[in-house]
Amino acid sequence: MAPLDQTFRETGGRIVAALAAAFRDLDIAEEAFADACAKAAEVWPTAPPLDPAAWLYAAARRRALDMIRRRSVRHRLAPDAPEPEPSIEAQLASDARLIPDERLRLIFVCCHPAVAPEARAALTLRLVCGLSAQEIARAFLVSEPAMLQRLTRAKRKIAEAGVSFEVPGPEAWPERLAAVLTTLEVAYARAHEDAAGAGPHAGFAQEMLGLTTVLVELLPREQDALAFAALVRYAEARRPARLDPEGTMVPLDRQDPAKWRDDLIAEGEALLRRAGSLGPPGPIPLRAALHSAWCARRTLDEPPPWPAILSLYDALLSFGDDPFVRVNRVVALAEVCGPAAALAELEALDAARLAGFQPLHAVRADLLARLGRREEALEAYDQALALGPAEAERRWLIRRRMETALEG
Amino acid sequence: MQYALLIFEDENAFRDTHGRAWEDILAAHGAFAGELAAKGILKGGAGLKTSDTATTARKTGGQYALHDGPYAEAREQLGGFYIVEAASLDEALALAKRVPLAGDGSVEVRPLIDED
Repeated sequence: MAPLDQTFRETGGRIVAALAAAFRDLDIAEEAFADACAKAAEVWPTAPPLDPAAWLYAAARRRALDMIRRRSVRHRLAPDAPEPEPSIEAQLASDARLIPDERLRLIFVCCHPAVAPEARAALTLRLVCGLSAQEIARAFLVSEPAMLQRLTRAKRKIAEAGVSFEVPGPEAWPERLAAVLTTLEVAYARAHEDAAGAGPHAGFAQEMLGLTTVLVELLPREQDALAFAALVRYAEARRPARLDPEGTMVPLDRQDPAKWRDDLIAEGEALLRRAGSLGPPGPIPLRAALHSAWCARRTLDEPPPWPAILSLYDALLSFGDDPFVRVNRVVALAEVCGPAAALAELEALDAARLAGFQPLHAVRADLLARLGRREEALEAYDQALALGPAEAERRWLIRRRMETALEG
Repeated sequence: MQYALLIFEDENAFRDTHGRAWEDILAAHGAFAGELAAKGILKGGAGLKTSDTATTARKTGGQYALHDGPYAEAREQLGGFYIVEAASLDEALALAKRVPLAGDGSVEVRPLIDED
């Protein structure tokens, strides 16, 4: 991999976070970082840097100072823009503890109650995780122009209204924590989608372990924070079993538990127990409990606890209708009540709204194949494939499509 | 940065300017404004008479028309405002949460346009 790609993937989010924290301006942080990357693409092939991350940060910082200077001339501001603390650059290269804190700080800025709720997660994903507006739009099932408008409005509000870039005191945690966790969940879902862990968002899966550790240290008695930290650990524990040797996705019920990471599962169990001791579970603890149910399997022969999984999905739906949950529930329903009942449930969902939701088509294809409706199944596989799934999943869908075509 | 704290309340609570409720809210505002002034963060503000004293000049297609009453009919009306100096929105919001209100109501926080 080219050094720029790698640095961008591994440290892009943290550099933007550090710039935003230093200059208190999200647009400047993003633009300066983009300029620094362009400069790196030009310079690095002939003069590779010793420390790529520090190089990018230094270049982006110079560019940001430049932009601020030019802006203050334009506005004829009397005092110079304040110099950011000079220590950040040095810290960035040497102090690993800075990473989760800077990112967490920026996440809390993005999740300020002054920012429109529907923009908070999107803004975090853009600034902290470096997702494109197109990727975020897809994650939230809205159009790209609508998402761009949300992002622009949110950044403008933060700049114009004078939202501060400090991590808020504990009294402000409750009103922001829900948004922070939603954001982290969506971000993690993106990283998790990439089973191979080789795509542009893979670094975020690793860092999510660190971020949630910090979060739990800050909030040792917040049930949702504990449960989310558990959830990430269960999911990461299964990563070694998610691909076969050819790089094809292995669905959960076919994964070999011997390949799962017991250390992470044990951490997850401990966190979930702590969460459970703090009161009746809400949606995040329930989702973590779903992961826990899956991770309870010890051998490949042991069947998944489908009835327990189904009732956990039912409990989740009692907190509000969520198309993502419904589609996943249908998978469990097929095992407990048969594919016909499951398909009927799936067909009852809002097809127009979910047309771009790839898992729906994949699940539908599987159910149709199991019911012997081969032609329709093949069509549904094609629809799922047309929506551009990640490489590992694409291979899986192609294999399933071929098996279906050869059957009967 | 300077912020306006715009107070929206059900003004029926203030119709009786001889009653106890009026005395109480007046005293509460006096104490709040006094504290802000002593800290040097109070930059201005005023209370407004009830909205039935309002007249609106509305421009439509280049023509002005005058109307009795406020622009919008709503249960909660703008009843007064403070202008305060605050380092960030969070500081201004903390002040907003301390603005005395007679009952249910809201305080809208808006940054002022910079004059420099």
